[in-house]
Amino acid sequence: MKRNKRSWRICTILVLVLVVLGYTPLMIPHGIYKPMIFGIPYSLWTSILVTVALVVLTYVGSKVHTGRDEGEEEA
Amino acid sequence: MKVWIYIFFGIFFALLAFASWKSYRRNRSAEEFMLAGKSIGPILGFLTFSAALFSAFTFMGMPDFFRNHGIGAWTFLAFSDGIMVFFILWFGYLLRKKAKEHNFQGVAGLMVSSYGTRWAGVAMFASAFIFLIPYVAIQIRGISIFLEAAFPGLLPSWTWALIMVVMMLVYAEIGGLKAIVYSDAIQGLILLLVIWLIGSTCISAFGNVPDLFRAVEEVNAELLSTPGPNGLFSWQFLLGSMVAVVMIPVTQPQLTTRLVVVKDLASMRKMAYAVGIFAILVITPTIFIGMYGAAKYPGVPTSEFLSQALLFDQAAPVAALAIVGLFAACLSTTNAQIFALGNELRSLLTGDEKKAMRITRFSLFFFAAVVMVFSTLMSDELALLARVSFTGTAMMAPIVLMAVISGRKPAKEIILISSLALIIYLLSLAGVVPDHVGKLKLDLSLYLFLIVSVAAVTFIKKKIEKLPRLES
Repeated sequence: MKRNKRSWRICTILVLVLVVLGYTPLMIPHGIYKPMIFGIPYSLWTSILVTVALVVLTYVGSKVHTGRDEGEEEA
Repeated sequence: MKVWIYIFFGIFFALLAFASWKSYRRNRSAEEFMLAGKSIGPILGFLTFSAALFSAFTFMGMPDFFRNHGIGAWTFLAFSDGIMVFFILWFGYLLRKKAKEHNFQGVAGLMVSSYGTRWAGVAMFASAFIFLIPYVAIQIRGISIFLEAAFPGLLPSWTWALIMVVMMLVYAEIGGLKAIVYSDAIQGLILLLVIWLIGSTCISAFGNVPDLFRAVEEVNAELLSTPGPNGLFSWQFLLGSMVAVVMIPVTQPQLTTRLVVVKDLASMRKMAYAVGIFAILVITPTIFIGMYGAAKYPGVPTSEFLSQALLFDQAAPVAALAIVGLFAACLSTTNAQIFALGNELRSLLTGDEKKAMRITRFSLFFFAAVVMVFSTLMSDELALLARVSFTGTAMMAPIVLMAVISGRKPAKEIILISSLALIIYLLSLAGVVPDHVGKLKLDLSLYLFLIVSVAAVTFIKKKIEKLPRLES
């Protein structure tokens, strides 16, 4: 339970870091589209990667979130 | 192509008929009809949530958004959806807990019992009505554009809209929410299949992905970075959109209800990350369709681009499937939203259940009629209209969030504060209030105002409650 709580907190912090990063010039630089990867412009491939990371964190979060339905035992 | 259209429509209608037959029960209770007995499993749960979220707006609005404003459209929707699905883990858990305590019948009803005043429910219902009606009308508008292009001159657009609305009402009347959930699942799968088929055709028209982007670079390199050629995707626009999108499960009742009707918490969690995966899968091909349009159809009107890219440039079976897919998307999203409005109204009604259900059923007809009228007045800027709808309802998020988070009764002033923000936003849409406060966009300013004032009101209420009571 304690470990899950910590893991949930880590997930939340990582998500918050990604959210902040997502709106900085690091991810959406004004008018810049290079370097491209597989021909995909910079802001697009970085934001696709970060979106995938968010979904992975959601998956991990779904495993470690400590909330339970009434009457449900912790796994 | 017509033969393919008949074949795919035949299959689609057969699936719908099967879904209605499976969902229909004589003498079902209001909860079975309106909330599917709160027993939806994780697979149906994620498909119905995704289908309610990704609709004609994704299918048509997003490619057009990529075409006109460039790759920032990914951050606008997909990145925001990634944040939203994580938020669902936290919010969905608290919401389900609250819903159990208050015997959830609808978001408006939940707010009435949480705040202890009808005004909380009325405010939620009013905002849902004001912003969902245009949002639903977008869907109808989307399919009308498409059907007119597929069958030029056959029927006027309002007749297509009427056919859709009548079908939707009959279907909802027979099967209730359960049937809508099944149709959502069918629609979600068709949408995913057809959007990838079209996306792949768009890539192969240029050879491969790098060549597609190279072609766009030659036409308009500004599309490959933010803020895009028209400067739309500024960080302020994207951040404001993110808040609005993340708040969708909080303030759009058709989605809030879906978090509650999933049978258990484990299913809801699976649903959250599955929606995230679905979001990436469904938005990715819209990049290719949009970039294809940017290189091949720059500057043409939306309807022309969509009918070319989604219909006439596709092989006959794919084009036919696109028509059926869009029709299905439109039908299920419209159904989900009209039904949600009906459910919200029902959760506000007290007294005899049969009478409440009669009023609710009548209200579905009324909402559908209003939507039909609106759909004839809509513009073609589907994605921007959707954003307005999301932002408008997001102004009411503090009401729901505070009700769900607080262990005790939240301050009633929150209703007033949220309603004030909503009115200011509406006035800005009407051009009465400027859309910026200094350099900050109005939606971001209103979010700041909401955060600060709701925190202040909650703090003051806590302090007052701690004061020793005067003995009389």
